[in-house]
Amino acid sequence: MQDIENDIRSLVAEIIEKDPAQIKPDARFVEDLGVDSMMALEILAGIEKKYKIAIPEEKLAEFKTLDSIVAIAREYLSKNA
Amino acid sequence: MLNYQEIVKILPQRYPFLMIDRVLELEPGKKVVAVKNVSYNEEFFSGHFPGQPIMPGVLIIEAMAQASIILFYNAKDAAKKNLSYYIGSVKVRFLHPVMPGDQLKITIEPIKVISGAAIVKAQASVGEKEVAGGEISFVAKEA
Repeated sequence: MQDIENDIRSLVAEIIEKDPAQIKPDARFVEDLGVDSMMALEILAGIEKKYKIAIPEEKLAEFKTLDSIVAIAREYLSKNA
Repeated sequence: MLNYQEIVKILPQRYPFLMIDRVLELEPGKKVVAVKNVSYNEEFFSGHFPGQPIMPGVLIIEAMAQASIILFYNAKDAAKKNLSYYIGSVKVRFLHPVMPGDQLKITIEPIKVISGAAIVKAQASVGEKEVAGGEISFVAKEA
């Protein structure tokens, strides 16, 4: 399960153009990393494509840290399984 | 199919910045195929470039973005709102130059469409040849 965190970290790093090492599990997206709503949507779309899952748009509001995104991805992966 | 009269009801852009002449296919929320006819009379050709007219890549992106608005408008029942559209990010590769006389055919398909924003796959071709392709994201806000 550690893999999911690393995979999502790389995906986020590429979209927000930061070094993956900067994306600590509890770093706040907006305040610490400068993520805007468009980037958040790109992250959501990237995760949907990578894991072939569908995440409802309401979940975007919970995209606050790497930890929270990984939890959401796991939630929807287990629903699909 | 949509003609120019229907297109101007959807798109806020006007001369000289209306980059869609006709919509050939429209599957709400799923697919838009639109046409931009490129004439030697286009103003930008006089400077881009003198004696060697090539359609600027940014204007191909603009045509893709406008076709994307048509997709979004029909997917999200945007007709009732007065929306402004802001482009967020563009990832497009240009493959061949577009010249006077070309008919630019733009195909837009959704990657992710939500209430106030969308990411779409955009592809432009002239005849059978793909001239540009990539991804565009944008937001729609009530004015």
